[in-house]
Amino acid sequence: MARVVVDPELCQGHTLCNIAAPEIFQLREEDGHAYVVVEQLTPEQVPLARKAELGCPERAITVEE
Amino acid sequence: MATDDRVVVEFDQHAPEYRETYPAPAHELREQCPVAWSTRHEGFWVVTGHEELSALSKRADLLSNDHDPEGVRNGYQGISIPERGTTRGGFIEMDPPEQSEYRRVLNPFLSPAAVVQWQPLIDDFTRACIDEVIETGHLDFVDDFANVVPAVLTMAMLGLPLADWEIYCEPAHMQVYTAPDSPNFDHMLETTSRMVERLAEYVEIRKTEPRPGMITALLNAKVMGEFLPDDGIIGTVTLLIGGGFDTTTSLLAGALDWLDTRTEERARLVDDADYLVSATEEFLRYFTPAQGGGRTVTEDCEVAGFTFSAGDRMFLSYAMCNHDPASFPDPDEIVLDRFPNPHAAFGLGVHRCIGSNLARLDFKIMLREALRRIPDYRIDPAGTERYESIGTINGYKHLPATFTPGRREGPPLAEVMETWQARLDAEPAPENLRAGAV
Repeated sequence: MARVVVDPELCQGHTLCNIAAPEIFQLREEDGHAYVVVEQLTPEQVPLARKAELGCPERAITVEE
Repeated sequence: MATDDRVVVEFDQHAPEYRETYPAPAHELREQCPVAWSTRHEGFWVVTGHEELSALSKRADLLSNDHDPEGVRNGYQGISIPERGTTRGGFIEMDPPEQSEYRRVLNPFLSPAAVVQWQPLIDDFTRACIDEVIETGHLDFVDDFANVVPAVLTMAMLGLPLADWEIYCEPAHMQVYTAPDSPNFDHMLETTSRMVERLAEYVEIRKTEPRPGMITALLNAKVMGEFLPDDGIIGTVTLLIGGGFDTTTSLLAGALDWLDTRTEERARLVDDADYLVSATEEFLRYFTPAQGGGRTVTEDCEVAGFTFSAGDRMFLSYAMCNHDPASFPDPDEIVLDRFPNPHAAFGLGVHRCIGSNLARLDFKIMLREALRRIPDYRIDPAGTERYESIGTINGYKHLPATFTPGRREGPPLAEVMETWQARLDAEPAPENLRAGAV
């Protein structure tokens, strides 16, 4: 099964992952930094997570398949 | 020095040639070396490679933003190359953990959830600004539109009188467009210090008259049991005015100028929300309103394969890195549905633009409404005037246009200003944690 992780040390709150895939990435109230809300990615979610991974300016997102 | 193998160039981001040929200098420099040494402004590294920028931006421990004009800590010159001003420019000229404390106070005002609360204000002022000119058939996109809404919004979020935006407007813009060798440079410094004095007066007033907004939040904040120092707060308010007034304005002007002849794209931006989202990122990448940031190397080190010495100055050119073909194919083309687009327009690392969420929201609403209500505008190139220097902010002084007149959609700007001021004044004052403490 695939999963996706956001490295909290690298994330700076650009929010582009949330714009690309809000059902996978949510933003913390206090600073807009991202966290993942799904344990496992469904096959339909994998391309969305990949999209967020490629689009992250800080390269903070990794999809693990 | 000079015994190493550094690639030496003569690059000046404030020079007219940079403005006239942007983004071409990015390629000339990068082909010589993605991290080159410019002999200008007493010498600095200029970073034009996106990969190198990514590596360097993660090293806030080795690259300092500190500005210490009085030489009490390290004598570092802050984020402007050459050094600018004799005061520290708020938290962007600080390093963690000090910088993080200011951001911790301000983040709750600028998170995605928080900024959406301001959408009604953005909607109202956007509509009213267009109404002011819609019956005449001509406007200046900068003076009549792009200057106004972001500035009023910034006033509201700080807790300052909305109508005062006009007082700060010219100084805020002059501060960023005046080149270091301009005959107006001293005049700019004077104007800036008058603006800072005025802001300092308001910070003082807010100590006894708290209002909802970022100034009172800064005044109420405590770090290790101490209130933040006045100069840190005043510098930060000045920074938020600069960031709030000038950057979204510049992005709008760049986008509206580019869209001048592109009627197909204009129509699609009005109708297709997803297209507007990707286009916003592409305009950010291409124009990069805040062109980059200066740093000072804190110790001898090697990063991304380059060797630096303690005290070296460095210009992280977000703009030129955003035109690196290794990360952005056909970088000098504006491709409104570009993907992926991991641009560095808001900076990378711990100094990421704190207002990025607000900027995106404001820009999207304003661009869409301008295109919806003025669909056939044509820019007047003769009246168009770019900033003298785009080395700090890539913006416009004037961007006049003509169009087929239309109809008003609501009350006039002055009335909207009064209505919003009354609405904000009616909000209860926050607790004053400084009461009795000063």
